[in-house]
Amino acid sequence: MLELRARIFAPARDPLWGAVLSLLASLILSFAAVALSGRDALTGFADLAAGAFGGPGPLGETAIKTGVLLLTGLSVAVAFTVGLFNIGAEGQLIWGALAAAVVGRSDVPGVLLWSLLAAALAGALWGSLAGWLKVRRGVHEVISTILLNWIAIHLVHGWLVAGPLAAPGSGAEVSVAGTAPVSPAAWLPRPLAGSRLDAGLPLALAIAAGVWFLITRTVRGFEWRAVGAGREAAEASGIPAGRRICEGMALSGALAGIAGALLILGTEHRYPGVFRTGYGFDGIAVALVGGGTVWGSALAALVFGALRAGATRLQLVGIHPSFAELTQGLAVLLVAAPRIFQPLLVRLRGRALPPASAPPIPTVQP
Amino acid sequence: MNLVLDFAPPLVFAALGGVLSERAGVVNIGLEGMMRFGAFAAAAGAIFSGSPWVGLGCGALAGAAAAAVHALLSLKFRADQVVSGIALNLVALGLVTYLLQVVFGSSGVSPPCPALPRDRFGHSALAYAALLAPFLFHAWLAWTPQGLRVRAVGEHPRAAATLGVRVLPLRALCVLGSGVLAGVGGATLSVGLLGQFDTRMPAGQGFMALAAMVFGKWTPLGAAAAAFLFAAGDALQRQLSFSLHAADLRLEGVFLALPYALTLLVLALGIGRSRAPAADGVPYDPEA
Repeated sequence: MLELRARIFAPARDPLWGAVLSLLASLILSFAAVALSGRDALTGFADLAAGAFGGPGPLGETAIKTGVLLLTGLSVAVAFTVGLFNIGAEGQLIWGALAAAVVGRSDVPGVLLWSLLAAALAGALWGSLAGWLKVRRGVHEVISTILLNWIAIHLVHGWLVAGPLAAPGSGAEVSVAGTAPVSPAAWLPRPLAGSRLDAGLPLALAIAAGVWFLITRTVRGFEWRAVGAGREAAEASGIPAGRRICEGMALSGALAGIAGALLILGTEHRYPGVFRTGYGFDGIAVALVGGGTVWGSALAALVFGALRAGATRLQLVGIHPSFAELTQGLAVLLVAAPRIFQPLLVRLRGRALPPASAPPIPTVQP
Repeated sequence: MNLVLDFAPPLVFAALGGVLSERAGVVNIGLEGMMRFGAFAAAAGAIFSGSPWVGLGCGALAGAAAAAVHALLSLKFRADQVVSGIALNLVALGLVTYLLQVVFGSSGVSPPCPALPRDRFGHSALAYAALLAPFLFHAWLAWTPQGLRVRAVGEHPRAAATLGVRVLPLRALCVLGSGVLAGVGGATLSVGLLGQFDTRMPAGQGFMALAAMVFGKWTPLGAAAAAFLFAAGDALQRQLSFSLHAADLRLEGVFLALPYALTLLVLALGIGRSRAPAADGVPYDPEA
C-alpha cells in the first residue's frame, strides 16, 4: 500500500500533481469567492458544467475554445523547449488572424489551406523576430515579446483594420465592423448541425500530435531540447544553438498564428473592428499549468476551454463570466510556486523522498 | 503641454515602481495588474469615504497588497518571477472585473467618484508629484546608504549579504514599494483623471511603463524622462487627429505603436549601454 502510494506520487510526477492540485485549489478558491459574495455557488457549478458539456451546442463552444487555447499553449510550450519564455503569442496570433482574414478573401482554389498557411507564416515571422533579436542582438525575449505584442495590437487594430484594410465604402460605422468578410470557401467546415463545433479542434489535435512527435522523436527536436536545457553545452557539442532558437521561435509563432486563423475562419469570418482575444496571454497559462509538455497543455486547454465556455452560463445566476479569468489566474499563481504543494505531496507519498527537480520552466536571466 | 502633464503621471509612477523592484533584483511585469488593483481600489475608496485622498491611499494599499503576493511567491516560494508577474496580471483582470460587478453591479464603469482637486492650470497634486518624485528617487538611490544597499542586492546579492545586508527582506520591501508606486499610478487614472473606474483600465499603461523603464535604462531619471516622452507622443497624436483630419488616415495605431518600437530599436541597436541589473530575475537562496 505504502509502495503503491509512493509510486503514484513519485517525485518525478510532482509537476503533474502540482498542476492538478493547483487547478483544484483555484476552482475551490474561486467558488469560495462566489459563495462569499452571496451567490449560490452550487447552482453556479452545475450551470458551469451544463454550459460546458450539456449537449452539442455547449460542447461545440468548449471545443472551439479548447482548440485555440491548445495552439497558443503549444506555442508557449515550444518556446520553452528551446529555453525561451514567449510572452508574444498574442501578437503572433493577431498577425496570423489578419493574414488569414486577408488571404481568405480571395477565391483561389484551396483558399482555406492558403489562409492557414499565410497565418502560420505571419505568426512565424513575428515570432522569429523575437528569436533573432535574442540571438543576434542579445535582447531578452520577455521584454522584446511584450513590446512586439503592443506593436502588433496598435498597428493592426489602430491602423490596418481601421484604415487601409477596412471594408470598402468605409464610413465610420463600417470601419468598426472590420475588414471585408472572407469567402465562404475559407470557412472552417462545421460537421454537426446545431453546434458551432468546427474543424478547429481536430486540426489543433493533429498539430499537437505532430509537435509532440517533432520534439520527442526527431533529431531536430532533441537538439531543440538540448539548447533549451543548456545553450552553451549544446553549442559545445556542435549544435548551432542560435539557429535552433530561431527555428523554435518560428514554430512557436506559427502555432499562435494558426490559432488566430481558427478564430477568423471558424467563428468571426472577417477581422472584426473590435477583436479582444486574450487567447495569446491565456496560452501562457495553458503551457505553465501543462508543465511545458504537449499533453499537459492539451489537458489544461480542455479545462480552461470548458471553463470559458461554461462561464457564459454563469450570468444566469448573477455570476460574472470573468469568473473564468479569475480561476485561470489563480491556477497560474499557484502553479508558479511548486513549493506550496511540496509538503502535501511529501505526505501523500507516505515517506520522505528527495524532492523532484523543478518543472521545465526556464529561469529568466536577462 | 497640458495634456502631457495629464498623461505622464500614471506612467511615471508605475515606471518608477518598476525601477525600484528591478534595481533590487526582482523582475516585475505585474505592474499592469498592480495598476489595475490600484485604480479600482482608489475609485471604490473615494466613493465609499467621499474623499479622493482616502481613495488614493486605498489605491496605494491595493497596489502594495498585490505586490505582497508577488513578493511572497517569488521570494518565499521562489517562483519564477516572470510567471508570478503574469499570474498577477491575469488575476487582476478577472478579480477586478468580478469585484466591479459585485460591488457596483456594473460590467463597464463604476459610478463617478470624487476626483482630486485641480489647480487653475487643471492639474492635480499628483502631476506635480510626478515631476518631483523622479529627482527624489534618484537622490535616494544614488546618494543614501539604503539606496546603495538596494543597488547592491540587485547587482550582487551574495556580496551584499556578506556585508550584513538582509537580502530577502530588503527585496520584499522594494517589491512592496513598487506596488505602492504602481497603485498610485493606477489611482492617478481613476481618482486623478477620469473621476471613475473604467474596466478597460489601465489599458496597457503598465506595459508602457515597463517599456519606459527599459528605455530609461533602469534609472529613475531615465525612466521618468521616457515616460514623459511617451506621454508627449500620445498627446501629439491626439492633437493631430483633432486638427489634421488625420482621422481619415487612421494613423492612431502607428503613433501608439511608436513608443514600443522605439524601445525595441534602442535595445536592438544597443544605443548607449542598456543593461538590466546583474541579478535581476535571479532568485536568491540564502542557504546555497
